[in-house]
Amino acid sequence: MALSLENVEALAPDQASLDAARKLLKPAGWPALASNGAGLVWGECQGSGATPYRVVISESDAGYKCTCPSRKFPCKHSLALMWMRAEGRQTFADGPVPAWVNDWLSRRRGPASEAPAASSAKPKASIEATAQTVPEAESDPKAEARAAAARERNRLEREAAILNGLDDLDVWLTDQLDRGLAGFAAQSAQACRLITQRLVDAKASGLATRLESLPARLFSLPEAVRPSAALQELGVIYLLSAAYRRQEELPAELKADVRQAIGWSFTREALLAIPDAVRARGTWRVFAALSEVQVDRLRRLETWLWLEADEGTPRFAVLIDFVPVATGAASGGYSVGDRLEAELVFYPSARPLRAQIVRSLTGAQTCDAPLHLPDLSLDAAYRNYEEALREQPWLGVWPFSVRGAKVRRQGTQLFLCGSVQNAVPLALPLQPAQSSLAAPLLQLEQLDAVGLWDGYRFNLCWAQTELGRWVNG
Amino acid sequence: MNAATLKAHALPALLAGVGRQPLSHRAILDELGHGGDPATALKILSLTGQALRFERPLPPPGFSIEAGITDIQDRRPILPDPMRRPLLRLLSGKRPSDDLALALAWAFNRCKIRPHPFDLPRLDAFVRAHAELLGRTAQHWAEQQKDTAAQPRGYFDADQIDETTWKNAPPARRARYIAEQRKQDPAAARTLVESVWTQESADARVRLLAAFESGLNSGDQLFLEGLLKDRAPRVRSLAQRFLARLSGRSGEHPALMACLERIRRSTAGLLKKRPVLALELPATLKEHEARGWIRETFAEVSCEELASALELTETEMIDAAEKDANLLLALAWMATQDGRLDLLEQLTAGPLADAWEQLSQCGVPDLAMMPFDQRQRWAAILIGPYGVKPPASYPAWSWLHRSLEGPAPEVLIDSVLRSPRWLGQLLDDNKFTAEWMELLAALCRSSHRARLRALIAPLDPPLTLTALTLLDILDSMEKAGHDERTTTAP
Repeated sequence: MALSLENVEALAPDQASLDAARKLLKPAGWPALASNGAGLVWGECQGSGATPYRVVISESDAGYKCTCPSRKFPCKHSLALMWMRAEGRQTFADGPVPAWVNDWLSRRRGPASEAPAASSAKPKASIEATAQTVPEAESDPKAEARAAAARERNRLEREAAILNGLDDLDVWLTDQLDRGLAGFAAQSAQACRLITQRLVDAKASGLATRLESLPARLFSLPEAVRPSAALQELGVIYLLSAAYRRQEELPAELKADVRQAIGWSFTREALLAIPDAVRARGTWRVFAALSEVQVDRLRRLETWLWLEADEGTPRFAVLIDFVPVATGAASGGYSVGDRLEAELVFYPSARPLRAQIVRSLTGAQTCDAPLHLPDLSLDAAYRNYEEALREQPWLGVWPFSVRGAKVRRQGTQLFLCGSVQNAVPLALPLQPAQSSLAAPLLQLEQLDAVGLWDGYRFNLCWAQTELGRWVNG
Repeated sequence: MNAATLKAHALPALLAGVGRQPLSHRAILDELGHGGDPATALKILSLTGQALRFERPLPPPGFSIEAGITDIQDRRPILPDPMRRPLLRLLSGKRPSDDLALALAWAFNRCKIRPHPFDLPRLDAFVRAHAELLGRTAQHWAEQQKDTAAQPRGYFDADQIDETTWKNAPPARRARYIAEQRKQDPAAARTLVESVWTQESADARVRLLAAFESGLNSGDQLFLEGLLKDRAPRVRSLAQRFLARLSGRSGEHPALMACLERIRRSTAGLLKKRPVLALELPATLKEHEARGWIRETFAEVSCEELASALELTETEMIDAAEKDANLLLALAWMATQDGRLDLLEQLTAGPLADAWEQLSQCGVPDLAMMPFDQRQRWAAILIGPYGVKPPASYPAWSWLHRSLEGPAPEVLIDSVLRSPRWLGQLLDDNKFTAEWMELLAALCRSSHRARLRALIAPLDPPLTLTALTLLDILDSMEKAGHDERTTTAP
């Protein structure tokens, strides 16, 4: 059954959704549009997040799925795809059904036996009504000036609030030092709660999140390491606090790093408007897709990318999205192994890593080809990390690419090891959660690997071996 | 001041608490301020933390020795890459049905394919449950996952076994090997069994002894007499039965005596008297327990023994039992266990046309001793009477799948393909579930898969997605297995 505009109207949860869907009908916003010729239609839509949303609809029963965090069903992206399909003006490429569409098909329950009774109180959404566009308000220079002044006032207030919060943070840190850090981990949950609340009030949300998640990070480490790890983490927090107070003395990139770490953020528009922001265009491969629920009930979705052609630009990039846990979205738009042609803009940083997609030139394609990793030993990759740490002392996770490594085991703990020819061979402990999944790699003499090092554990994300590709998760 | 100074003098104070152990080292304080200033302590904290961050992780004193790929020597080809993800979706998504997992495990064994080593952790439950069917690497994995400190052992997966390697094979395969050897040289086969007897578990001993059924002769007597003192009651009982058969005395066969106690014999007919047999079930037996009782009671008795004890030929025995459904079922079960397909055919062609459904309620028979062709013929005999209307009972189909451990004879899927009304009726009755589709796919032979795919593809995707994926995987496995054999054959 082909979709009609009447179907789209009937499915729309409200008029606002249809209005929003109309704005998405431009083909430029859809780097990929395809169908299998048998009722399945899918596409990728660049929204406000770092990664495009993946949308699929089933024409036969008007089923739909979108990776956006919207709580409206169907969301504007699904409606827009149905609308484009119903109008028939866009060209949908014929192609094999991608794995993510098949995954959705295998999980869906199928159409409800009876359509839910339409609520009489719900006003009917109409496509015709969306055409009656509200004329944009004419720009008023006085109003704009007032708004700009208000924004500046708010900024100054926030700067002052943060500085006050940092003073309290120093007092709290001094208290912890008085008591000693040997036993900090044991009472860290209670100790961090109060100062976290204070930093949230002071609008230093980045620092607050870092402190709030500190107890969990400490408890994920072996007990013997916890005092040293607590000392390192609190040292970094003080360093950020001190750097923020003296941010005017820092180089522009490092200053941007500090401000982001404290809690200042960029909107997509602001990021795109930075004239000298680092940009990289090329073919990117997804080598990791991580999902973590934060203490603030937001799910942090990280999509790690590797640039296939080395043109002097950063080879690694990470797209970060935050979605409320309640939306149920557990993964981002891309899957490990996907290849996409895109231009990325990096957030200003001494070591640019976090990025946003400026525009996708193609939709993501599943790809089995290996990554062409540079000839870098584990030792050399670790030296790169140390160099990055020198430039950015609060560095969190850092990506590694390694050639000729080996996975070895002691007890249940796995290690990524470098060449045995070194005098003191480097052995990075893998995440404990990987002890089972990465166990088959123990049988291999040699592998090339890509992963993330957080200073304590290596998260092996991708390995190229004589048996083919191994990926985490 | 350097990292070493900080670690030697500041670190202990920071850990113990500067309230108790003030920071007092001159080299540090000279650069950062006086010890009583809180800001100085925070600076020292930050610098010490940073010094620690630059410490490289120390390698452990030693690493475990691991078995490498070359040590395990798994010569099976790996499942083709395009099928890995579908396989993972089938087996690690929502709980897979038992028939689906079994179909895949048997297909791995049949095609001599193995799962990709990287997928073993994701398929952990499946691999542990069916390790013996999945090749050496999977066996090695399953062994490693066991909590018990089991002795390391070799992993066995040879295509051909002989007297030097047979003892490493899985129990069912060893029993089959001994049965084959018994047909050629019973004494040599007995010697093989005697050489391993004391190291075997009770289950394995029962299986090996059951293989003595073929080629049973007086030369076995001494060995069997020794088994009358075996610690497993099942071994003692089986040995006693064989000894009774050798001496021709049914009185020494307790299982046979138990059967005879329940069979009432009478005569019928006016001019020509003919025997009539009836089975009396115990009065305390509930209706749903009857099938299980029949299976247990007749499990250790062969058709030949029963007929001989009743002083009838086997054909006469079946004729005499034609009015008693329970006895007919017992005879069908015995004929299946004995591999007496002629008798089973007589039963299904005559009074027990629904033997498939009846037998399916008795549990899955052990057909390990039947060669593949004989098993297929056994199934064809059961299916035959149904024509184009196979039973619409999922348990009966599942039972057939588990009995055959693989695809059914072509005639079964033929009957489904030739009668779309049968499929339509199931759909109308809402009986047809995704599990039904999976079972159809599992039982379908490669020659019929394209037609089955065409038949079910138009149905609702949630109903057919798993079944269609299973068909793809089975096709791919057979192709890869076949290709491998043709390319490596001398």
